[in-house]
Amino acid sequence: MSRKIKVVPRYGSNIKDKLYLPAIYQGMKVTFKHLMANVADSNAIETLEYPEEQPSDITQRYRGLHRLTHREDESIACVACFMCATACPARCIFIEAVEREDGRDEKMPKRFAIDTLECVFCGYCVEACPCDAIRMDTGIFSLIGSSREDFVLEKEQLLAHKGAFGEEKSCARK
Amino acid sequence: MTTGAIVVAIISFVLGALLALMMIPILVWLERRGAGLVQDRLGPNRTNIFGFRLGGVVQSFADVVKLVLKEEYYPSHISKHRWLFMLVPSITFVAALLAFMVIPFADNVVIGGESLRIQPLPVDFGVLWFMAIGAIGVVGIMLGGWLSHNKYALMGSTRAGSMMIGYELPLGLAIVSFIITYNTIDFNAMVAWQSGTVLGFLPAWGILVQPLGAIILIVALFAETNRNPFSVSEGESEIVAGYMTEYTAMKFAIYFMGEYVAMNTASAVIITMVFGGYQLPWVGTVDLVTHFNAFALAIMAVLPIGILFFIRWMQKNNSLRPSVRSDGSREYEAKVFTYVLIAMTLIVEAILIYLILSPEAFLSRTIAVTLLQIAIFVFKLMLFNLFFILVRWTLPRFRYDQVQHLGWYYLLPLSLLNLFVTAIIVVGVG
Repeated sequence: MSRKIKVVPRYGSNIKDKLYLPAIYQGMKVTFKHLMANVADSNAIETLEYPEEQPSDITQRYRGLHRLTHREDESIACVACFMCATACPARCIFIEAVEREDGRDEKMPKRFAIDTLECVFCGYCVEACPCDAIRMDTGIFSLIGSSREDFVLEKEQLLAHKGAFGEEKSCARK
Repeated sequence: MTTGAIVVAIISFVLGALLALMMIPILVWLERRGAGLVQDRLGPNRTNIFGFRLGGVVQSFADVVKLVLKEEYYPSHISKHRWLFMLVPSITFVAALLAFMVIPFADNVVIGGESLRIQPLPVDFGVLWFMAIGAIGVVGIMLGGWLSHNKYALMGSTRAGSMMIGYELPLGLAIVSFIITYNTIDFNAMVAWQSGTVLGFLPAWGILVQPLGAIILIVALFAETNRNPFSVSEGESEIVAGYMTEYTAMKFAIYFMGEYVAMNTASAVIITMVFGGYQLPWVGTVDLVTHFNAFALAIMAVLPIGILFFIRWMQKNNSLRPSVRSDGSREYEAKVFTYVLIAMTLIVEAILIYLILSPEAFLSRTIAVTLLQIAIFVFKLMLFNLFFILVRWTLPRFRYDQVQHLGWYYLLPLSLLNLFVTAIIVVGVG
């Protein structure tokens, strides 16, 4: 045990450290160098001038705004199984099911709404979905509205979102 | 009093008030942009009026508008002495403002055989005035913290008080050693003393004549302005905002602005006492007036080059990266300012040519020299304010017992030693 003890030397006892001024000079040199370099060319600072400049580093794993996927014939892939609504820890998915008439499946959602003000963007709904019907691969990171109701995304809006990384159609429901 | 004397008095008073008050938004902006640039960020640069963002200065005015429009909120336990609670921040503000008013911005102007001071308050005991009024600022801080009935605020004000005991003595002794060296308590005479040379070639600035005294003065004035590394009375990690915890809206803003006025005053005092005030190194006022043509030609040569570099810098930096789509407002702003700067340069050049070609215009030459000295003063003031800001973003904060330790164990003996050595040399030489 005693062999593992590392004795850290105590600094600050010699005259140079006690004077403070050499250390202050060193620190000022660093800050002044940064200041002058950035004053000379402020566009070289590695920062995003946000509204004009959009982030370019959004990856496939990024959980953006949700979207509902389509089948091959552009009909909705969702079968209204309520798995996502059950998995949702924020209870922000509201589904009303209705019988599907075109014979492709038994059920489809009449209403499928996500309250994005409640949503915590955990991605559990995507994990839970057996039909690959809901995804978060839109790459959309900002949503703007002027009232609370604007942030409740309905089925039509969710269907209109495009995937940002290909794979437009549902992989599980043809 | 003649008309000339009245005009000079009014102009220097207005100039002093403008330099103290208009410097506040500029310093707040400089602090925020400076902090950003030191830390590789951009800082506030968005707020604009009709697309003119002036690099972000407009943000300071927007902040003031916000603070004025905010609700006047008083904690419920402050009922009896509310007027005092409201009044106290202005003690700090006014003390710093009054202390600034004895700084000379240029050498005395002789009009009609009358020597007129370019000093908002034309007094010849400026140093005593500064020492008396400057120290009152801490009273505002202590009263504010005490009246707040808040533990954090009380802690902050006791810290301010304890720190004041630590730095006032070295500050006073350092100033006394400067008074002995310059043999005057008049700021203007101090600056005039510094226009000579020491050892034949160095400018006789206080920092070279009295290096130890100058360092003690600068350190003590940092403590008096309550700025880093001595901002112990508002240590946000342990006592929230210190003495101004309970202050909101405009009451807070007055404390905040008082801090910047105090910083401006401290810079002005430091450059007046140890950095030659409004003087160029090696060149006194008499030299400027007698060799006016040479200096005018030098300015005419240097000014366009400086402006050219500034315009190129502005056009390069007042733009977004080429890869970014922009609406062209920054380019438009840079274009307008380019024209304005070129026009101003041409006007200055025309005035200088007129002054060179009319050698009998002694009065206008004196005025031109005065304006040049004011410009030098403002330049030095901005440089030292920048130094204050750079120190803030470089150094960590002292603990308040460390400040006292520094004051009593190091600065006080050193300033006493400096005082004795100065006195012996002055008596021995004189």
